[in-house]
Amino acid sequence: MKPELDKNILIFLLSSVGLIVLPHIYHIPAAVFGFFGLLFSWRFIGIWKQKWLPNKPVIFIAVVCGIALLYNQHQGLFGRDAGTQLFIIALGLKLMEIKTERDLYLITYFAFIVAASQFLYEQSILMTAYILLICCVLLATLVYINSGKAQTLSAIKTAVIITVQALPIALALFILFPRIDAPKWMLLNDPHQARAGLSDSMEPGSISDLGGSDELVFRVKFASAIPPPRLRYWRGPVLTYTDGKRWTQIAFQKPMRSPVVTGRAYQYKLLMEPQDKNWIFALDMPVEIPSPLTISSAYQLSAVDRSDNRTEYDLISYTDYNTGPINLGEYKTATQLPSEPSDKIKQLVAQLHGFDSAPDNFINRLLNHFRVEDFHYTLTPPLIEENPIENFLFKTRYGFCSHYASAFVYLMRVAHIPARVVTGYQGGELNKAGDFLEIRQADAHAWAEVWLNDKGWVRVDPTAAIAPERIEQSSSIDWHTTYGIAAANVPAYNWLKQARQLWGKVDYNWQRWVINYDNKSQANFLSSFGINDLKTLTYWMIAVIASITAVLCWFLLYHKSKSADKVLSSYNRFCKKLVKHGLIRNAGEGAKDYAERVKTKLPAQTADIDQITAVFIKLRFGRIVTGEDLQSLKRLVDLFRA
Amino acid sequence: MHNAIDQLLESANQVILGKPRQVKLALCCLLAHGHLLIEDIPGVGKTTLAHTLAKLLGLNYQRIQFTSDILPADIIGASVFDAKNHEFKFHPGPVFNQMVLADEINRATPKAQSAMLEAMEERQVTIEGKTYPLPLPFFVIATQNPSHQIGTFPLPESQLDRFLMRIELGYPDHQAERQLLMGKNRHQLCESLPVQLPSLQLQRIQLAVTEVHVSAALLDYCQAIIKYTRESPDYHCGLSPRAGLALLTAAKAWSFMDRRDAVIPEDIQAVLAAVTGHRLRAGSTQSEAIVAPILANVAVH
Repeated sequence: MKPELDKNILIFLLSSVGLIVLPHIYHIPAAVFGFFGLLFSWRFIGIWKQKWLPNKPVIFIAVVCGIALLYNQHQGLFGRDAGTQLFIIALGLKLMEIKTERDLYLITYFAFIVAASQFLYEQSILMTAYILLICCVLLATLVYINSGKAQTLSAIKTAVIITVQALPIALALFILFPRIDAPKWMLLNDPHQARAGLSDSMEPGSISDLGGSDELVFRVKFASAIPPPRLRYWRGPVLTYTDGKRWTQIAFQKPMRSPVVTGRAYQYKLLMEPQDKNWIFALDMPVEIPSPLTISSAYQLSAVDRSDNRTEYDLISYTDYNTGPINLGEYKTATQLPSEPSDKIKQLVAQLHGFDSAPDNFINRLLNHFRVEDFHYTLTPPLIEENPIENFLFKTRYGFCSHYASAFVYLMRVAHIPARVVTGYQGGELNKAGDFLEIRQADAHAWAEVWLNDKGWVRVDPTAAIAPERIEQSSSIDWHTTYGIAAANVPAYNWLKQARQLWGKVDYNWQRWVINYDNKSQANFLSSFGINDLKTLTYWMIAVIASITAVLCWFLLYHKSKSADKVLSSYNRFCKKLVKHGLIRNAGEGAKDYAERVKTKLPAQTADIDQITAVFIKLRFGRIVTGEDLQSLKRLVDLFRA
Repeated sequence: MHNAIDQLLESANQVILGKPRQVKLALCCLLAHGHLLIEDIPGVGKTTLAHTLAKLLGLNYQRIQFTSDILPADIIGASVFDAKNHEFKFHPGPVFNQMVLADEINRATPKAQSAMLEAMEERQVTIEGKTYPLPLPFFVIATQNPSHQIGTFPLPESQLDRFLMRIELGYPDHQAERQLLMGKNRHQLCESLPVQLPSLQLQRIQLAVTEVHVSAALLDYCQAIIKYTRESPDYHCGLSPRAGLALLTAAKAWSFMDRRDAVIPEDIQAVLAAVTGHRLRAGSTQSEAIVAPILANVAVH
């Protein structure tokens, strides 16, 4: 270890490396992160306890451990995760053998790669800002290494200036550089990460987990008018089979019969956030299906594959529809019951004329039953272990959408009316800043669908009967009740809401213009400028970058001449401070001669005068001039008291 | 390198008493690849200075006494017929030495003067179509009597320009004179001096001097001086571009001797009188007096 390697440089370098690897904690296995953390802290302690640093055999063992760890995790080096982890482990190991300046450079470049690898996982605006910040810190490290006795702040300042100067070129390259579709192999062997979301089965109570989650699920931007809240049902999995407790989808598929639609069409763009499932939550009822999507017989949309990225779909839905008749198989599954219903339930159905009147009447009576009897809507219902439906209907009577939907469907089936549970989202908050709807996990909902003879499948939402505000209000009541923010008119809350909406708009635009800027939209965008072939594009790229460089050059040179003036003005301030002692600098007197003259008059200040003069001469006539010198001249002159 | 320079100056000052500045300028001139002209009355130590420097630098030293009847061949050498081999053979003259003292150069006729000065400029001699390079380093110290003395052919401006510097020695002050009178014979003292700066090292220093940094701010000052001499009524002929180059070269050497790697205005000021005094014909023969208005009026920024 060379003694010249400054402690400060190492601290600086290690801090920036730490900052870079930190966000990867979400993406890489704990073992790899722990291994890196171990090496990192070892090196950090090594700054002060040099003797504790590993020697060659120990480093060798560490390398073997790293390879073993990597092999154990991935059995190879291909794919995003393996590659990223390889870099992180290599970075950690390289930290162990910092001997010369060259190693410092190598580590810094390594760190840049690791910083870039963040974008393979997350491309949000916040992460971009963070990576930019990190680039500044890394550049500051380079500045720090290169200028012998740098100060942290001025190094960071220089780095920020460099980064800001680089941004226009980065932007030009982003817009103009030909885009290549990322090859599939880069996304190989990603572990499926669990995300919160609807599941493909339902037990009353399971959705309460989502009730409070503020996480965004998807956004919808309508081409024209936005449907009223009572029509905003975003269709998800349809649950048909029940064992009495649990409701699940059935694998049974039949050819989809297109619904007959009337009324107005809603055309909209649906921007799905990354999610665990390949479900697409379209507005009830979707008709125009873009090619990669498929529609199930229960009218649920799904993508070919689940996506780790945000994806946008163009859809058209109609809120007035008629799905037409059903066949026997469908009838059977939609009236399926786990066992013979209990007498109590039969009695209830009979009491509401379920067996002896038209289905319409029964539905209305049942909804009215929920309304007038002592039923309550709550997000925190008591647990029902046995016979959930019966206990809910007759005992607890506290529940939320899935309780009501499952009880409703059960009772319908008892009355031999085909019915099923539909899960999805309901409502959504209008982002006034961006004029789009934001649908969050808190908007998760379950409702019922009943098949009526001449209407087909008809949506009935028993929750609307018991808690109409849940449906009618555009923002989720659940969220309010859960967090106790009942008074939506509190100014602070409104302010927060506005801030959130504004952020939502920024994020939405980031997604639309930056993340979704693929080769197709690039081609569209560029052709609007008349750039249609690669040759023109190359000319444009060269021209744009050359002009940016020219502007930067002009700015830098202009700035440099200004900084020379700053040197003189600082020195003149020093001379002015001496004027009161009668020490006026003659026209033809050099700084050194003047200093000698001043020193004979002010012998007590000899050290200060010498220092100021030396720094000034270095700045004015010296070979290598750094920004720090100017700072120190300014500081010295400020401190100088004649 | 710097220590060797300091030691050399110290030794020289023990021989040339009371003239540290002139000694330093003489060495500066040498480091800047220039030739030196010493103008003064006889007997103030011109020859001793030249001799001392030659000894301290370990250079071959040759003195050429210029008289009114000296011929160019006496300086640069001549081809002589070798009867044994039946051919002409070149016999190099006294100028083929590393350090040449051209004593009382203004006593010789212009023809002889120009032969010497051409050798100085070209650092080579051409006789009968054949070119002979002069040894390296090559350094000429010429002495000149004040031109008011009888029997002198004053050097024209164009030839004075060949000298990087002109210095005046002047009488020693009271104390130095007393020390001189009490001390040993200067000639013996000179002979006993050890070599302080071997010529290989000298050449390395000469190379290093050219590397000294000159900033834009310094060039501004340098150009302001040149402009001043061209515009001021004090001088009927301003400094030539060659003079400007000479000024910068000398200042570089001076700043190198002061252990700096960049020229500052003080370096220019230190060498200004010696470098420009003989180039600015301004009535006075005192270089310091000639450049005084420049130093006072050209502002340093």
